[in-house]
Amino acid sequence: MVDWLSLAVPLAYLGVLIGSLATFSSLYRKRKAQKAATLEAWFPAHLQRDIYFSLMHLDPSSQTEKKTPAVPESVLKAALLRRATEDIRRVMTLRSQKQALSMLLQRGSVGDDLWQRFLRAEKEMEDEVRDVVAEANAYAPGWGQIIFQSANEMLNNDLYRARVAEHQEKAAEEREWWDKKKTSIQEGFMKELNEEKEEGSTSGQTPATPAKVNEAVPVTTPAKATSVQGSDDDAVLVEADPSVNSLGSPASGGGGGKKKKGKGKK
Amino acid sequence: MASEIDIFNEYPLHLDPTSKAISLLPSSSQSTTQKAAITTELQELNALHRSLLSLDPPNTPPAPLPVNPKRSAQITKLRDSGNAAYRKSNYAEAIRLYTYAIEMALSRPGWEPVTLAREELAGLYGNRAQAHVGMQAWPEGLCDAKASVDSKPVGNVKAWWRLAKCLAEMSRYAEAKTFLLKGIEIEGRVSDGGKELVQLLEDVEAALQRMG
Repeated sequence: MVDWLSLAVPLAYLGVLIGSLATFSSLYRKRKAQKAATLEAWFPAHLQRDIYFSLMHLDPSSQTEKKTPAVPESVLKAALLRRATEDIRRVMTLRSQKQALSMLLQRGSVGDDLWQRFLRAEKEMEDEVRDVVAEANAYAPGWGQIIFQSANEMLNNDLYRARVAEHQEKAAEEREWWDKKKTSIQEGFMKELNEEKEEGSTSGQTPATPAKVNEAVPVTTPAKATSVQGSDDDAVLVEADPSVNSLGSPASGGGGGKKKKGKGKK
Repeated sequence: MASEIDIFNEYPLHLDPTSKAISLLPSSSQSTTQKAAITTELQELNALHRSLLSLDPPNTPPAPLPVNPKRSAQITKLRDSGNAAYRKSNYAEAIRLYTYAIEMALSRPGWEPVTLAREELAGLYGNRAQAHVGMQAWPEGLCDAKASVDSKPVGNVKAWWRLAKCLAEMSRYAEAKTFLLKGIEIEGRVSDGGKELVQLLEDVEAALQRMG
Protein backbone atom coordinates (compact mmCIF):
# COMPACT_ATOMS: atom_id res chain seq x y z
CA MET A 1 0.00 0.00 0.00
CA VAL A 2 1.30 3.38 -0.94
CA ASP A 3 1.89 5.85 1.77
CA TRP A 4 -0.45 8.66 0.62
CA LEU A 5 0.47 10.94 3.40
CA SER A 6 4.14 11.10 2.51
CA LEU A 7 3.25 11.55 -1.18
CA ALA A 8 0.90 14.43 -0.50
CA VAL A 9 3.67 16.99 -0.30
CA PRO A 10 5.30 16.25 -3.68
CA LEU A 11 1.86 15.92 -5.29
CA ALA A 12 0.77 19.25 -3.91
CA TYR A 13 4.03 20.73 -5.14
CA LEU A 14 3.44 19.37 -8.62
CA GLY A 15 -0.16 20.57 -8.59
CA VAL A 16 0.80 24.10 -7.67
CA LEU A 17 3.58 24.15 -10.23
CA ILE A 18 1.46 22.91 -13.13
CA GLY A 19 -1.47 25.05 -12.08
CA SER A 20 0.55 28.23 -12.00
CA LEU A 21 2.21 27.43 -15.29
CA ALA A 22 -1.16 26.81 -16.92
CA THR A 23 -2.59 30.04 -15.58
CA PHE A 24 0.41 31.99 -16.76
CA SER A 25 0.29 30.43 -20.21
CA SER A 26 -3.42 31.04 -20.69
CA LEU A 27 -3.17 34.62 -19.46
CA TYR A 28 -0.16 35.27 -21.65
CA ARG A 29 -1.85 33.88 -24.73
CA LYS A 30 -5.02 35.77 -24.09
CA ARG A 31 -3.11 38.98 -23.76
CA LYS A 32 -1.15 38.32 -26.91
CA ALA A 33 -4.29 37.54 -28.87
CA GLN A 34 -5.86 40.71 -27.58
CA LYS A 35 -2.84 42.68 -28.64
CA ALA A 36 -2.91 41.14 -32.09
CA ALA A 37 -6.60 41.92 -32.41
CA THR A 38 -6.07 45.56 -31.57
CA LEU A 39 -3.37 45.89 -34.23
CA GLU A 40 -4.53 48.04 -37.05
CA ALA A 41 -5.28 46.22 -40.27
CA TRP A 42 -2.75 46.68 -43.06
CA PHE A 43 -5.33 47.24 -45.76
CA PRO A 44 -8.69 48.96 -45.61
CA ALA A 45 -11.80 46.81 -45.72
CA HIS A 46 -11.87 44.44 -48.68
CA LEU A 47 -14.89 45.85 -50.46
CA GLN A 48 -15.03 43.24 -53.21
CA ARG A 49 -14.86 40.43 -50.72
CA ASP A 50 -17.59 41.98 -48.61
CA ILE A 51 -19.81 42.32 -51.63
CA TYR A 52 -19.16 38.74 -52.65
CA PHE A 53 -20.14 37.42 -49.25
CA SER A 54 -23.08 39.78 -49.00
CA LEU A 55 -24.35 38.33 -52.26
CA MET A 56 -23.85 34.81 -51.00
CA HIS A 57 -25.86 35.61 -47.91
CA LEU A 58 -28.53 37.51 -49.76
CA ASP A 59 -31.11 34.89 -49.20
CA PRO A 60 -34.65 35.33 -50.35
CA SER A 61 -36.39 34.64 -47.07
CA SER A 62 -34.74 37.50 -45.25
CA GLN A 63 -36.06 40.09 -47.66
CA THR A 64 -39.08 41.78 -46.19
CA GLU A 65 -40.48 42.86 -49.49
CA LYS A 66 -41.78 40.60 -52.20
CA LYS A 67 -39.93 37.44 -52.90
CA THR A 68 -36.61 38.07 -54.61
CA PRO A 69 -35.07 35.31 -56.66
CA ALA A 70 -31.82 33.70 -55.65
CA VAL A 71 -28.69 35.39 -56.93
CA PRO A 72 -27.72 33.82 -60.25
CA GLU A 73 -24.40 32.06 -60.37
CA SER A 74 -23.02 34.31 -63.09
CA VAL A 75 -23.31 37.31 -60.77
CA LEU A 76 -21.41 35.44 -58.11
CA LYS A 77 -18.75 34.52 -60.64
CA ALA A 78 -18.36 38.13 -61.64
CA ALA A 79 -18.13 39.13 -57.99
CA LEU A 80 -15.51 36.45 -57.39
CA LEU A 81 -13.50 37.72 -60.33
CA ARG A 82 -13.61 41.24 -58.94
CA ARG A 83 -12.48 39.86 -55.63
CA ALA A 84 -9.56 38.05 -57.24
CA THR A 85 -8.52 41.27 -59.00
CA GLU A 86 -8.42 43.15 -55.73
CA ASP A 87 -6.47 40.26 -54.18
CA ILE A 88 -3.85 40.52 -56.88
CA ARG A 89 -3.47 44.20 -56.22
CA ARG A 90 -3.00 43.54 -52.52
CA VAL A 91 -0.56 40.68 -52.97
CA MET A 92 1.50 42.86 -55.30
CA THR A 93 1.53 45.65 -52.75
CA LEU A 94 2.67 43.30 -50.01
CA ARG A 95 5.38 41.86 -52.18
CA SER A 96 6.76 45.26 -53.07
CA GLN A 97 6.67 46.43 -49.48
CA LYS A 98 8.23 43.36 -47.92
CA GLN A 99 11.84 44.02 -48.79
CA ALA A 100 11.85 47.65 -47.80
CA LEU A 101 10.07 46.89 -44.58
CA SER A 102 12.41 44.10 -43.52
CA MET A 103 15.36 46.36 -44.25
CA LEU A 104 13.87 49.07 -42.08
CA LEU A 105 13.18 46.56 -39.35
CA GLN A 106 16.79 45.36 -39.38
CA ARG A 107 18.05 48.87 -38.99
CA GLY A 108 15.58 49.45 -36.22
CA SER A 109 13.86 52.27 -38.02
CA VAL A 110 10.41 50.82 -37.55
CA GLY A 111 8.80 49.23 -34.57
CA ASP A 112 8.07 45.60 -34.10
CA ASP A 113 4.31 45.98 -34.19
CA LEU A 114 4.47 47.34 -37.72
CA TRP A 115 6.21 44.13 -38.71
CA GLN A 116 3.58 42.13 -36.83
CA ARG A 117 0.86 43.92 -38.71
CA PHE A 118 2.60 43.17 -41.95
CA LEU A 119 3.00 39.49 -41.18
CA ARG A 120 -0.63 39.27 -40.25
CA ALA A 121 -1.68 40.90 -43.51
CA GLU A 122 0.53 38.48 -45.41
CA LYS A 123 -1.03 35.50 -43.71
CA GLU A 124 -4.51 36.83 -44.28
CA MET A 125 -3.83 37.28 -47.97
CA GLU A 126 -2.52 33.74 -48.20
CA ASP A 127 -5.75 32.41 -46.71
CA GLU A 128 -7.76 34.72 -48.91
CA VAL A 129 -6.08 33.52 -52.10
CA ARG A 130 -6.56 29.91 -51.12
CA ASP A 131 -10.20 30.61 -50.41
CA VAL A 132 -10.73 32.25 -53.80
CA VAL A 133 -9.12 29.32 -55.61
CA ALA A 134 -11.35 26.88 -53.74
CA GLU A 135 -14.47 28.90 -54.53
CA ALA A 136 -13.52 29.14 -58.20
CA ASN A 137 -13.01 25.43 -58.44
CA ALA A 138 -16.43 24.95 -56.92
CA TYR A 139 -18.04 26.97 -59.72
CA ALA A 140 -16.23 25.34 -62.60
CA PRO A 141 -13.61 22.63 -62.27
CA GLY A 142 -10.21 23.93 -63.28
CA TRP A 143 -11.14 27.58 -63.00
CA GLY A 144 -9.06 27.90 -59.86
CA GLN A 145 -5.89 27.44 -61.90
CA ILE A 146 -6.60 30.33 -64.24
CA ILE A 147 -8.72 32.74 -62.25
CA PHE A 148 -5.70 34.64 -61.01
CA GLN A 149 -4.17 34.76 -64.48
CA SER A 150 -7.37 36.31 -65.75
CA ALA A 151 -7.56 38.65 -62.80
CA ASN A 152 -3.99 39.75 -63.36
CA GLU A 153 -4.65 40.59 -67.00
CA MET A 154 -7.80 42.42 -66.01
CA LEU A 155 -5.90 44.51 -63.55
CA ASN A 156 -3.16 45.36 -66.03
CA ASN A 157 -5.65 46.10 -68.76
CA ASP A 158 -7.48 48.47 -66.45
CA LEU A 159 -4.29 50.29 -65.60
CA TYR A 160 -3.20 50.51 -69.21
CA ARG A 161 -6.57 51.75 -70.44
CA ALA A 162 -6.65 54.42 -67.78
CA ARG A 163 -3.28 55.70 -69.00
CA VAL A 164 -4.31 55.75 -72.62
CA ALA A 165 -7.55 57.50 -71.74
CA GLU A 166 -5.51 60.11 -69.89
CA HIS A 167 -3.47 60.81 -73.02
CA GLN A 168 -6.57 61.05 -75.13
CA GLU A 169 -8.31 63.40 -72.73
CA LYS A 170 -5.52 65.89 -73.17
CA ALA A 171 -6.28 66.24 -76.89
CA ALA A 172 -9.03 68.81 -76.34
CA GLU A 173 -6.85 70.80 -73.98
CA GLU A 174 -3.93 70.77 -76.39
CA ARG A 175 -6.16 71.79 -79.25
CA GLU A 176 -7.49 74.75 -77.29
CA TRP A 177 -3.99 75.84 -76.38
CA TRP A 178 -2.77 75.53 -79.94
CA ASP A 179 -5.74 77.46 -81.39
CA LYS A 180 -5.12 80.26 -78.97
CA LYS A 181 -1.45 80.28 -79.76
CA LYS A 182 -2.06 80.15 -83.47
CA THR A 183 -4.30 83.20 -83.45
CA SER A 184 -1.83 85.15 -81.35
CA ILE A 185 0.92 84.19 -83.76
CA GLN A 186 -1.17 85.32 -86.69
CA GLU A 187 -2.06 88.60 -85.04
CA GLY A 188 1.55 89.30 -84.23
CA PHE A 189 2.57 88.50 -87.76
CA MET A 190 -0.13 90.69 -89.27
CA LYS A 191 0.86 93.59 -87.09
CA GLU A 192 4.44 93.23 -88.18
CA LEU A 193 3.41 93.18 -91.80
CA ASN A 194 1.17 96.20 -91.40
CA GLU A 195 3.92 98.12 -89.73
CA GLU A 196 6.26 97.30 -92.53
CA LYS A 197 3.72 98.48 -95.04
CA GLU A 198 3.05 101.69 -93.24
CA GLU A 199 6.73 102.36 -93.15
CA GLY A 200 6.82 101.78 -96.85
CA SER A 201 4.13 104.53 -97.07
CA THR A 202 1.86 102.65 -99.35
CA SER A 203 -1.90 102.96 -99.05
CA GLY A 204 -2.58 99.30 -99.85
CA GLN A 205 -4.24 98.21 -96.62
CA THR A 206 -4.64 94.57 -97.56
CA PRO A 207 -3.15 92.40 -94.90
CA ALA A 208 -0.92 89.52 -95.76
CA THR A 209 -2.49 86.86 -97.86
CA PRO A 210 -3.86 83.98 -95.84
CA ALA A 211 -1.57 81.52 -97.51
CA LYS A 212 1.43 83.44 -96.36
CA VAL A 213 0.17 83.61 -92.81
CA ASN A 214 -0.47 79.91 -92.72
CA GLU A 215 2.97 79.19 -93.88
CA ALA A 216 4.31 81.20 -91.06
CA VAL A 217 2.21 79.56 -88.45
CA PRO A 218 4.71 77.26 -86.86
CA VAL A 219 7.33 79.91 -87.08
CA THR A 220 7.42 82.92 -84.86
CA THR A 221 5.62 83.67 -81.70
CA PRO A 222 4.90 86.85 -79.85
CA ALA A 223 6.70 86.93 -76.55
CA LYS A 224 4.37 84.70 -74.68
CA ALA A 225 5.43 82.24 -72.07
CA THR A 226 3.43 79.09 -72.38
CA SER A 227 3.44 76.49 -69.77
CA VAL A 228 3.34 73.20 -71.46
CA GLN A 229 0.92 70.54 -70.45
CA GLY A 230 1.48 66.89 -70.26
CA SER A 231 5.15 66.39 -70.73
CA ASP A 232 7.54 64.65 -68.42
CA ASP A 233 9.13 67.86 -67.35
CA ASP A 234 6.12 69.90 -66.50
CA ALA A 235 6.03 73.60 -66.98
CA VAL A 236 8.86 74.03 -69.38
CA LEU A 237 8.69 77.59 -70.52
CA VAL A 238 8.86 78.15 -74.19
CA GLU A 239 9.80 81.69 -74.63
CA ALA A 240 9.63 82.93 -78.11
CA ASP A 241 11.41 85.86 -79.55
CA PRO A 242 9.36 87.94 -81.92
CA SER A 243 12.36 88.90 -83.97
CA VAL A 244 13.16 85.39 -85.07
CA ASN A 245 11.77 84.35 -88.38
CA SER A 246 11.31 81.20 -90.40
CA LEU A 247 12.21 78.69 -87.78
CA GLY A 248 9.92 76.20 -89.33
CA SER A 249 11.93 75.73 -92.45
CA PRO A 250 14.25 72.97 -91.28
CA ALA A 251 11.49 71.07 -89.53
CA SER A 252 8.88 71.37 -92.22
CA GLY A 253 11.48 70.67 -94.88
CA GLY A 254 12.20 67.42 -93.14
CA GLY A 255 8.50 66.71 -92.93
CA GLY A 256 7.98 66.67 -96.65
CA GLY A 257 10.24 63.75 -97.14
CA LYS A 258 8.79 61.80 -94.29
CA LYS A 259 5.16 61.80 -95.24
CA LYS A 260 5.46 58.26 -96.43
CA LYS A 261 6.50 57.06 -93.03
CA GLY A 262 3.10 55.87 -91.92
CA LYS A 263 2.69 53.43 -94.70
CA GLY A 264 5.20 50.98 -93.43
CA LYS A 265 2.81 49.76 -90.80
CA LYS A 266 0.63 46.95 -91.99
CA MET B 1 -7.13 33.37 -36.86
CA ALA B 2 -9.05 30.69 -38.67
CA SER B 3 -12.31 32.39 -37.89
CA GLU B 4 -11.11 35.69 -39.32
CA ILE B 5 -11.52 34.52 -42.88
CA ASP B 6 -15.25 34.18 -42.28
CA ILE B 7 -15.75 37.68 -40.97
CA PHE B 8 -17.07 40.23 -43.41
CA ASN B 9 -19.09 43.43 -43.52
CA GLU B 10 -22.50 42.76 -44.87
CA TYR B 11 -23.98 45.34 -47.19
CA PRO B 12 -27.69 45.61 -47.86
CA LEU B 13 -27.59 44.74 -51.55
CA HIS B 14 -30.50 44.37 -53.86
CA LEU B 15 -30.82 42.23 -56.96
CA ASP B 16 -33.02 43.50 -59.71
CA PRO B 17 -35.12 40.47 -60.69
CA THR B 18 -35.19 41.19 -64.41
CA SER B 19 -31.85 42.77 -65.27
CA LYS B 20 -29.96 40.90 -62.50
CA ALA B 21 -28.19 44.16 -61.71
CA ILE B 22 -26.95 44.55 -58.18
CA SER B 23 -27.54 47.80 -56.36
CA LEU B 24 -27.17 49.14 -52.86
CA LEU B 25 -30.35 49.62 -50.91
CA PRO B 26 -30.82 53.26 -49.97
CA SER B 27 -31.60 52.31 -46.39
CA SER B 28 -28.00 51.35 -45.65
CA SER B 29 -26.16 52.97 -42.82
CA GLN B 30 -22.87 53.75 -44.59
CA SER B 31 -21.45 57.22 -44.94
CA THR B 32 -21.72 59.00 -48.27
CA THR B 33 -18.13 58.35 -49.33
CA GLN B 34 -18.51 54.68 -48.54
CA LYS B 35 -21.75 54.59 -50.46
CA ALA B 36 -20.09 56.17 -53.46
CA ALA B 37 -17.27 53.62 -53.35
CA ILE B 38 -19.72 50.74 -53.11
CA THR B 39 -21.84 52.09 -55.92
CA THR B 40 -18.90 52.46 -58.31
CA GLU B 41 -17.72 48.98 -57.41
CA LEU B 42 -21.18 47.62 -58.08
CA GLN B 43 -21.26 49.32 -61.46
CA GLU B 44 -17.98 47.64 -62.36
CA LEU B 45 -19.40 44.38 -61.15
CA ASN B 46 -22.51 44.70 -63.26
CA ALA B 47 -20.46 45.57 -66.33
CA LEU B 48 -18.26 42.54 -65.75
CA HIS B 49 -21.32 40.41 -65.26
CA ARG B 50 -22.72 41.48 -68.62
CA SER B 51 -19.47 40.63 -70.37
CA LEU B 52 -19.39 37.25 -68.63
CA LEU B 53 -22.89 36.50 -69.86
CA SER B 54 -21.73 36.83 -73.45
CA LEU B 55 -19.31 33.93 -72.96
CA ASP B 56 -19.99 30.29 -73.59
CA PRO B 57 -21.01 28.21 -70.62
CA PRO B 58 -19.71 27.73 -67.95
CA ASN B 59 -19.41 31.51 -68.22
CA THR B 60 -15.96 31.75 -66.79
CA PRO B 61 -13.28 33.72 -68.59
CA PRO B 62 -10.93 31.44 -70.50
CA ALA B 63 -7.19 31.43 -69.91
CA PRO B 64 -5.49 34.52 -71.39
CA LEU B 65 -3.96 32.45 -74.18
CA PRO B 66 -4.87 31.50 -76.85
CA VAL B 67 -6.78 34.56 -77.97
CA ASN B 68 -10.03 34.51 -79.85
CA PRO B 69 -8.91 35.46 -83.40
CA LYS B 70 -12.21 37.06 -84.44
CA ARG B 71 -11.63 40.47 -82.98
CA SER B 72 -8.00 40.59 -84.09
CA ALA B 73 -9.08 39.88 -87.66
CA GLN B 74 -11.65 42.68 -87.57
CA ILE B 75 -9.14 45.14 -86.22
CA THR B 76 -6.59 44.20 -88.86
CA LYS B 77 -9.19 44.68 -91.55
CA LEU B 78 -10.12 48.13 -90.31
CA ARG B 79 -6.49 49.12 -90.08
CA ASP B 80 -5.75 47.94 -93.60
CA SER B 81 -8.60 49.98 -95.02
CA GLY B 82 -7.35 52.90 -92.95
CA ASN B 83 -3.89 52.47 -94.43
CA ALA B 84 -5.38 52.38 -97.93
CA ALA B 85 -7.26 55.62 -97.30
CA TYR B 86 -4.09 57.19 -95.94
CA ARG B 87 -2.17 56.21 -99.05
CA LYS B 88 -4.75 58.02 -101.13
CA SER B 89 -4.15 61.07 -98.91
CA ASN B 90 -7.72 60.80 -97.68
CA TYR B 91 -6.68 61.65 -94.15
CA ALA B 92 -10.12 62.30 -92.65
CA GLU B 93 -11.34 58.91 -93.80
CA ALA B 94 -8.18 57.24 -92.52
CA ILE B 95 -8.63 58.86 -89.12
CA ARG B 96 -12.23 57.68 -89.01
CA LEU B 97 -11.23 54.10 -89.78
CA TYR B 98 -8.35 54.10 -87.34
CA THR B 99 -10.70 55.43 -84.68
CA TYR B 100 -13.07 52.53 -85.22
CA ALA B 101 -10.18 50.11 -84.98
CA ILE B 102 -8.98 51.77 -81.78
CA GLU B 103 -12.42 51.55 -80.24
CA MET B 104 -12.59 47.91 -81.13
CA ALA B 105 -9.18 47.22 -79.64
CA LEU B 106 -10.07 49.13 -76.49
CA SER B 107 -13.22 47.08 -76.00
CA ARG B 108 -11.31 43.82 -75.82
CA PRO B 109 -12.43 41.99 -72.70
CA GLY B 110 -10.15 42.59 -69.76
CA TRP B 111 -8.98 39.03 -69.34
CA GLU B 112 -7.26 38.96 -72.71
CA PRO B 113 -3.52 39.56 -72.48
CA VAL B 114 -2.55 43.16 -71.93
CA THR B 115 0.58 42.78 -74.06
CA LEU B 116 -1.61 42.06 -77.06
CA ALA B 117 -3.73 45.15 -76.47
CA ARG B 118 -0.60 47.27 -76.07
CA GLU B 119 0.94 46.00 -79.27
CA GLU B 120 -2.22 46.57 -81.27
CA LEU B 121 -3.02 49.97 -79.88
CA ALA B 122 0.56 51.18 -80.27
CA GLY B 123 0.31 50.55 -84.00
CA LEU B 124 -3.16 52.03 -84.34
CA TYR B 125 -2.39 55.17 -82.38
CA GLY B 126 0.84 55.58 -84.30
CA ASN B 127 -0.98 55.36 -87.62
CA ARG B 128 -3.67 57.77 -86.52
CA ALA B 129 -0.99 60.16 -85.34
CA GLN B 130 0.54 60.03 -88.80
CA ALA B 131 -2.84 60.79 -90.39
CA HIS B 132 -3.21 63.76 -88.04
CA VAL B 133 0.24 64.92 -89.07
CA GLY B 134 -0.92 64.66 -92.68
CA MET B 135 -3.80 66.99 -91.85
CA GLN B 136 -1.46 69.27 -89.89
CA ALA B 137 -3.57 68.66 -86.80
CA TRP B 138 -0.57 68.80 -84.50
CA PRO B 139 -2.28 68.66 -81.08
CA GLU B 140 -4.26 65.54 -81.92
CA GLY B 141 -1.21 63.96 -83.51
CA LEU B 142 0.77 64.75 -80.40
CA CYS B 143 -1.72 63.00 -78.10
CA ASP B 144 -1.97 59.94 -80.33
CA ALA B 145 1.78 59.67 -80.65
CA LYS B 146 2.12 59.95 -76.89
CA ALA B 147 -0.41 57.18 -76.39
CA SER B 148 1.46 55.03 -78.91
CA VAL B 149 4.83 55.59 -77.30
CA ASP B 150 3.40 54.90 -73.88
CA SER B 151 1.87 51.65 -75.12
CA LYS B 152 5.08 50.40 -76.64
CA PRO B 153 8.24 52.39 -76.06
CA VAL B 154 10.63 49.92 -77.69
CA GLY B 155 10.64 49.27 -81.42
CA ASN B 156 8.26 52.13 -82.08
CA VAL B 157 10.63 54.58 -83.66
CA LYS B 158 8.05 56.10 -86.00
CA ALA B 159 5.83 57.11 -83.11
CA TRP B 160 8.78 58.76 -81.39
CA TRP B 161 9.50 60.70 -84.54
CA ARG B 162 5.88 61.79 -84.94
CA LEU B 163 5.69 62.87 -81.33
CA ALA B 164 8.73 65.10 -81.69
CA LYS B 165 7.58 66.34 -85.05
CA CYS B 166 4.22 67.51 -83.69
CA LEU B 167 5.93 69.29 -80.82
CA ALA B 168 8.44 70.94 -83.13
CA GLU B 169 5.68 72.11 -85.44
CA MET B 170 4.01 73.79 -82.50
CA SER B 171 7.35 75.47 -81.64
CA ARG B 172 7.68 73.50 -78.43
CA TYR B 173 11.30 72.71 -79.15
CA ALA B 174 12.45 72.08 -75.61
CA GLU B 175 9.87 69.35 -75.16
CA ALA B 176 10.61 67.93 -78.57
CA LYS B 177 14.25 67.68 -77.62
CA THR B 178 13.53 65.77 -74.41
CA PHE B 179 11.39 63.25 -76.22
CA LEU B 180 13.90 62.89 -79.04
CA LEU B 181 16.69 62.18 -76.60
CA LYS B 182 14.55 59.61 -74.88
CA GLY B 183 13.62 58.04 -78.20
CA ILE B 184 17.21 57.88 -79.35
CA GLU B 185 18.24 56.35 -76.06
CA ILE B 186 15.68 53.58 -76.53
CA GLU B 187 16.00 53.01 -80.25
CA GLY B 188 19.69 53.59 -80.75
CA ARG B 189 21.29 55.82 -83.36
CA VAL B 190 22.32 53.28 -85.94
CA SER B 191 18.98 52.02 -87.18
CA ASP B 192 17.17 53.75 -90.04
CA GLY B 193 14.58 55.25 -87.72
CA GLY B 194 17.28 56.22 -85.28
CA LYS B 195 19.05 58.25 -87.95
CA GLU B 196 15.86 60.13 -88.66
CA LEU B 197 15.47 60.88 -84.99
CA VAL B 198 19.02 62.23 -84.90
CA GLN B 199 18.31 64.33 -87.96
CA LEU B 200 15.21 65.82 -86.37
CA LEU B 201 17.14 66.42 -83.18
CA GLU B 202 19.69 68.47 -85.08
CA ASP B 203 16.92 70.56 -86.61
CA VAL B 204 15.30 71.09 -83.23
CA GLU B 205 18.58 72.08 -81.66
CA ALA B 206 19.24 74.55 -84.43
CA ALA B 207 15.81 76.03 -83.86
CA LEU B 208 16.43 76.24 -80.14
CA GLN B 209 19.66 78.08 -80.74
CA ARG B 210 18.05 80.56 -83.05
CA MET B 211 15.50 81.33 -80.40
CA GLY B 212 18.35 82.15 -78.05
